[in-house]
Amino acid sequence: MPSPSIPSRPKYKPFALIPTARTHLIIAEHAENLPDLPAGSSEAPIEFWVVVNDARAIGTQRLNSGIEITRYRSVPHLLDQLAHRLEREYVGLQLYAIGTEPFIWDVARLSRAHGLDRDEFHPTHSGTLRRRVYCVHCRSFTDNVSTNIVACSGCGAQLQVRDHFSQRLAAFMGFQVDAEVPGELPPIEEAYP
Amino acid sequence: MSNPGTLALRVREAEMIAPLLKRFVLESADRAPLPSTGPGAHLRLMLKDGARKYRNAYSIAAAAPDNSTYEIIVRRVPRSRGGSVFLHEHVDAGTIVEADFPGNLFPLSQVARKHLLIGGGIGITPFLGYLAHLKGTPTPFELHHFCRVEEEETFGQLLRRAEGGKIHLHPELVTEFDLAQLLRTQPLGTHLYVCGPEIFMDLVLATARSHGWPGSKLHSESFGGAHAGGAPFVAVLKRSGLEIHVPEDQTLLEAIEAAGVEPPSLCRGGACGQCMTEVLEGEPEHRDHYLSAEEHAAGRVMMICVSRAKGERIVLDL
Repeated sequence: MPSPSIPSRPKYKPFALIPTARTHLIIAEHAENLPDLPAGSSEAPIEFWVVVNDARAIGTQRLNSGIEITRYRSVPHLLDQLAHRLEREYVGLQLYAIGTEPFIWDVARLSRAHGLDRDEFHPTHSGTLRRRVYCVHCRSFTDNVSTNIVACSGCGAQLQVRDHFSQRLAAFMGFQVDAEVPGELPPIEEAYP
Repeated sequence: MSNPGTLALRVREAEMIAPLLKRFVLESADRAPLPSTGPGAHLRLMLKDGARKYRNAYSIAAAAPDNSTYEIIVRRVPRSRGGSVFLHEHVDAGTIVEADFPGNLFPLSQVARKHLLIGGGIGITPFLGYLAHLKGTPTPFELHHFCRVEEEETFGQLLRRAEGGKIHLHPELVTEFDLAQLLRTQPLGTHLYVCGPEIFMDLVLATARSHGWPGSKLHSESFGGAHAGGAPFVAVLKRSGLEIHVPEDQTLLEAIEAAGVEPPSLCRGGACGQCMTEVLEGEPEHRDHYLSAEEHAAGRVMMICVSRAKGERIVLDL
């Protein structure tokens, strides 16, 4: 039972700098996601923020291209600092997030809460297609889902993972698939590698 | 008698508040409540001056909470198409005027974290409606209004009614003010609203863009100034088989309407896009805010409410 294609499934554009920006803040989930920007890519200052999952690699440095790079030891660490930064930013900032869908939509949620809109926040998908699934019954999230059916991390229901994506929740909707006949499940497949 | 779909309004009060500014309080001629409006709404009056007809849009500066009255302020523009002069000379308490249902092409953003209002001259009118609304909301706002020195007192009195926020009245030219500094230091999520003369709005919006403001955060509204006439020309309406002479003091849309053709239109200020018309021959002189720079350069479509012809003749798909 493949889920029908739903328009809310986000489409992503390749990374590109917005030429009218006054400041660029480019946030990546992994260092290898960072774009290769030679010196002179933009008249506006460019900053990189990246998660390195390494307790020894903290702090801000300047790359040869002149770009300032700040390394964070975890995603929550980066998001916490981002909230602090956006609180103090001015109109003219362009924010970019590159990484898996749960990551870029967590950044999106934070940016929206600080008043950035689609002209100012630019998500680029990179990496695994594994999904974060939202259980519409118990409202728990289940992360790293690669199959079409998954047991909910909250209530244990067998959820069918749909293409219906909520930008607000940064997750795909999951519905109980065996509500009519408990235990009767469609074949389980690796759908989101 | 009013036509269906229009309002018959009686002028309850009319007073000069400055040598060139006349304030009108309008009520329903049949005492039925007027349609509700939101901040930023405008009213289009249909005025009959003998054989001439004017359709002029004015921002609703205030609407009574019980929908019993609308208030507009009209600046007398001697070299305009004549609507404002007619209102100044011939419309007073007791006069009945016809109007379209109010529209709103300049609403406040519901998601803004701050509202920054920049007005020039009579462009204060939509902001008076904004201020009445904003004083009841927790969203911060800031108004900068530019006016002539001799009108400082008049605008000061209009703004005295507003409370809260930050209100700055500048009796100076906007070019004497550090606009860049103001626009560089607005918190994320600020929406900018501009209303005033054409060159004033162009300057403010261009400054905002050059400091990185995205289009989604910029809002502007102009009435009147953009279509203050130009060289006469001939418009050929291909489908209707009409050839229309557009005089220097009439807009293309008004001339088309006078010939009995009613193309779709709404704001009559080059903002809404309703009256976009295909150009078959000839070159338009674009004066709108709706089309992109590329569309202006291509010249295949035009906004007939404000734009005119560059040459002596233009052929339209109407």
